[in-house]
Amino acid sequence: MCLDDQILNTYLDGELGEPWKTQVIEHLNYCVACNTRLEQLKRLRETLLSSALTQQEIQPHQEKVLSFIEKNIIEKKHINIFRKTFRVSMPMVMATAAAFVVILTGVLLFTRPDGLPTGQIIPNVAIPSAGSVVQVRATENLSAAKLLENFTLEEILQYLSSRGYEVEVKVKEIQPVVHQTDQNEIGSEKPAEEPTVEQ
Amino acid sequence: MEVHSSDSKSFRSVYEQVFPVVMRVAYHITYNMDVSEDICQEAFIRFYEKGIDFQSVDEAKYWLIRVVKNMSINVIKRKAREDATVERLKKAPSLPILNGEQALIGDETRAMVRSAVERLPEKLKSVLVLKEYADLNYKQIAGILRISESNVKVRVHRARKIMESMLDREEMHVS
Repeated sequence: MCLDDQILNTYLDGELGEPWKTQVIEHLNYCVACNTRLEQLKRLRETLLSSALTQQEIQPHQEKVLSFIEKNIIEKKHINIFRKTFRVSMPMVMATAAAFVVILTGVLLFTRPDGLPTGQIIPNVAIPSAGSVVQVRATENLSAAKLLENFTLEEILQYLSSRGYEVEVKVKEIQPVVHQTDQNEIGSEKPAEEPTVEQ
Repeated sequence: MEVHSSDSKSFRSVYEQVFPVVMRVAYHITYNMDVSEDICQEAFIRFYEKGIDFQSVDEAKYWLIRVVKNMSINVIKRKAREDATVERLKKAPSLPILNGEQALIGDETRAMVRSAVERLPEKLKSVLVLKEYADLNYKQIAGILRISESNVKVRVHRARKIMESMLDREEMHVS
């Protein structure tokens, strides 16, 4: 019985195990047909191999890709060690910022630079602040203390100046009473007919 | 020798040995030099960036061959899906001309073989390319493709059978 192509191919690839290999060699010693077929398969294989991409064809691409990777990947990675970026989630940043603002506001509102407690500045009005959340309450201890509204502006100013504070009072947005004479001055800039209408 | 893919010294040594092999694999699947170059570049970048430990250069080679083979198959699948009427840009690498007639005959055979390999069904093509152009044995191919050795044996045989009949037809057609 002659050998089939699959056995010959496997033999050709050097992948045939014993005892089949020995049997194939024995068979090939006398069978002309199988030898011819083996030759054909060998030639086919050589034809396939001959069309392989050659080292000559590969070389320029090999160099090009290597220099690309070295420049863009390997060298960059070395730099990255020193330029690591840290990622923090946005809600985390917002929460931290909000907490910071609350604490800072409390501290700035209810402390003086010299560290005197607020109670000395405005008695019975401010409550000792513990930090973050601050609520101004004037209703505490009502029987003993007057509410802030019960003081006149003059009294408050007097008290503050007696404690050594210099207070400046400014009035926003004054709308002066417009006098007739003022109107005439403005009107005089207008065309001559108008004053006559007013009269 | 152990290989750590992110170590630039290991990388260069693997690159030197394996690039020609993977370039051949990519080329004989896609038959396009530019595409093959892109695939190999991408594969080696992945190789470097993943920082994998391999027990030997061969293990690294099998990993790279598997990646390149998969990427190449994906490229030809995508290409097949795209409009078939679009003219294919087959970029045959330009060869230094040896001497007139000899070079011509060589080029003709190459073109014939290449177009025959190109027409093979995907499964047979992968096996044949790894066998003939990556110079691997059945066991290595089986490991890379994750199929059994006997399956590799059968596929090599079938692929050669189809190649033979296609080349015979071409030769008759030419002569």
